[in-house]
Amino acid sequence: MLKVIDLDKSYNRQKQSLKAVSFTAKPGEVTAIIGPSGAGKTTILRSVNQLIKDDAGQILLDDEDIRQANKSDLRRIRHHIGMIFQNYNLIGPLTALENVLHGRLGAKSTFAGMLGLYSATEKNEAAKLLQDVGLADFALQRCDQLSGGQQQRVGIARALMQHPKMILCDEPIASLDPKSTKLVMDILRELAQSKQLIILINLHQLDIAQTYADHIVGINQGTIVFEGPERALTPEKLQAIYRQPETKAVTADAN
Amino acid sequence: MKTVKQAPISLPPKLSLLTRPRRILRTVLGGLTLITLYALLTLNTAGLKISSAMSSLGNNLNIMFLHPGVGQDTWSLLLRALVTSISLGLLTTILGALFAFFIAMGAARNLAPAWLANTIKAAMAFIRAIPTILWVLIYSVVMGLGASAAVVGLTFHSIAYLVKAYSESIEATPAETIEALKASGVRFWPIVFQAILPSIIPALLSWTFIRFEINFANAVAVGAAAGANDIGYYLFMASGFYFNFHEVGLIVYLLLAVAVVLEIISIQLRGHYLKQN
Ligand SMILES: Nc1ncnc2c1ncn2[C@@H]1O[C@H](COP(=O)(O)OP(=O)(O)O)[C@@H](O)[C@H]1O
Ligand SMILES: [Mg+2]
Repeated sequence: MLKVIDLDKSYNRQKQSLKAVSFTAKPGEVTAIIGPSGAGKTTILRSVNQLIKDDAGQILLDDEDIRQANKSDLRRIRHHIGMIFQNYNLIGPLTALENVLHGRLGAKSTFAGMLGLYSATEKNEAAKLLQDVGLADFALQRCDQLSGGQQQRVGIARALMQHPKMILCDEPIASLDPKSTKLVMDILRELAQSKQLIILINLHQLDIAQTYADHIVGINQGTIVFEGPERALTPEKLQAIYRQPETKAVTADAN
Repeated sequence: MKTVKQAPISLPPKLSLLTRPRRILRTVLGGLTLITLYALLTLNTAGLKISSAMSSLGNNLNIMFLHPGVGQDTWSLLLRALVTSISLGLLTTILGALFAFFIAMGAARNLAPAWLANTIKAAMAFIRAIPTILWVLIYSVVMGLGASAAVVGLTFHSIAYLVKAYSESIEATPAETIEALKASGVRFWPIVFQAILPSIIPALLSWTFIRFEINFANAVAVGAAAGANDIGYYLFMASGFYFNFHEVGLIVYLLLAVAVVLEIISIQLRGHYLKQN
């Protein structure tokens, strides 16, 4: 279980990007964070694995506060948090299989990691994961020769190679066509259920969030304005989530 | 939506195609032309007889390129000197590559903090701006003329050159990609050796080999200046001291042969890595 409690973050003095953000994400569920651009979705996600140093609050993953962790504890916790990105962030010139194997590097000593000493079990697991995401035939292809949807599935396989408790997804489908979007979202939902993972996903497409999320967190200007199941998302709540500060009377626009 | 009526773009009354860089280029070219004319008109040609000068030029070229020979040195001496030059080039390239690799990680913006990267890049640019030969001479003030000064001077300039080439290759891996691995708990050195290095090895090899070609050429030139007893030294002695143009010709052919071999190897190397990728 992931519990975020009263998280604050300001990048600079003029503006507070997160204001006492609290929410919960459960294993086995897809939790979507929705809100307009600039609301603070990315800031939340990157605070959860401490790529960003936030200012105050608690981030408890299975009751361990990641904000209190020292350097080596942070590395251990991060190893059990997968992350996938809008731009996939794979090493382009390397093969899909090599990129998936990178998911194991965090579990290795500096020396074994430097030399890339992977066991036969690990290599088989990587091949199996690629097969699971439908890329068995592409294992030995360079990643920069794969389509966006294929690269994102390599990214998922890499995250799974970490044996994660949780996968963080920052706009994972923003660069994908509808067909790839469905493929990727189906995989993520299936993973949450079959492996009892916490899937925390930033989305700006409201319809996708409504289709796939079990639990929805709505954020507007750094403040959580809604948390609950998808069916509790009334038009009034949507209005509050997508409200624009400067101009009044703008309709909720998912994009 | 309201359409905004756009004002027509107004051009300045007198549009000049003569941009600043072009104006500068014209001024420079004009200046050079004037200097050339002045030099030609005031050249002191007393004592120069074009016909006899041309014929001795032809004669010298004939000796050099059609009648090469070992002169007062021996084949084994010259070949050994050639190997010395190649070794000098090889040694300084390998040393340069080793140092440059580690320094380049500090100079790559996707690995190092900006202040460090910028400082290193500026320092390396400064070192590169001074020609290799000058570095060798600077070091020979400290270490005395000879092979050591040649090695240190050549290595020094190689490091600066390769740091630039390597760090730019390293920067081909985007910072977000590296961050993605950090986010999964991977340490620094595994990221360098397992993620960055494998994807840029062809580029690194390519650059290193180009630097080897440069270092071989530099070794020849530096040998003459630093007295490193390599082929450059014998070329200098034969041409400027003994006026033995047979030997000059032979040495030029030897250097040419090495250059051709290096070129072939470099083409092969690149072909090999292109196929792999
Ligand atoms: N590196 C940064 N420096 C300064 N301000 C930032 C930075 N990153 C984000 N912000 C600000 O924080 C707020 C939230 O941004 P972000 O979390 O990226 O929103 P979202 O992902 O919902 O679009 C925005 O106002 C943005 O301008
Ligand atoms: Mg964002």
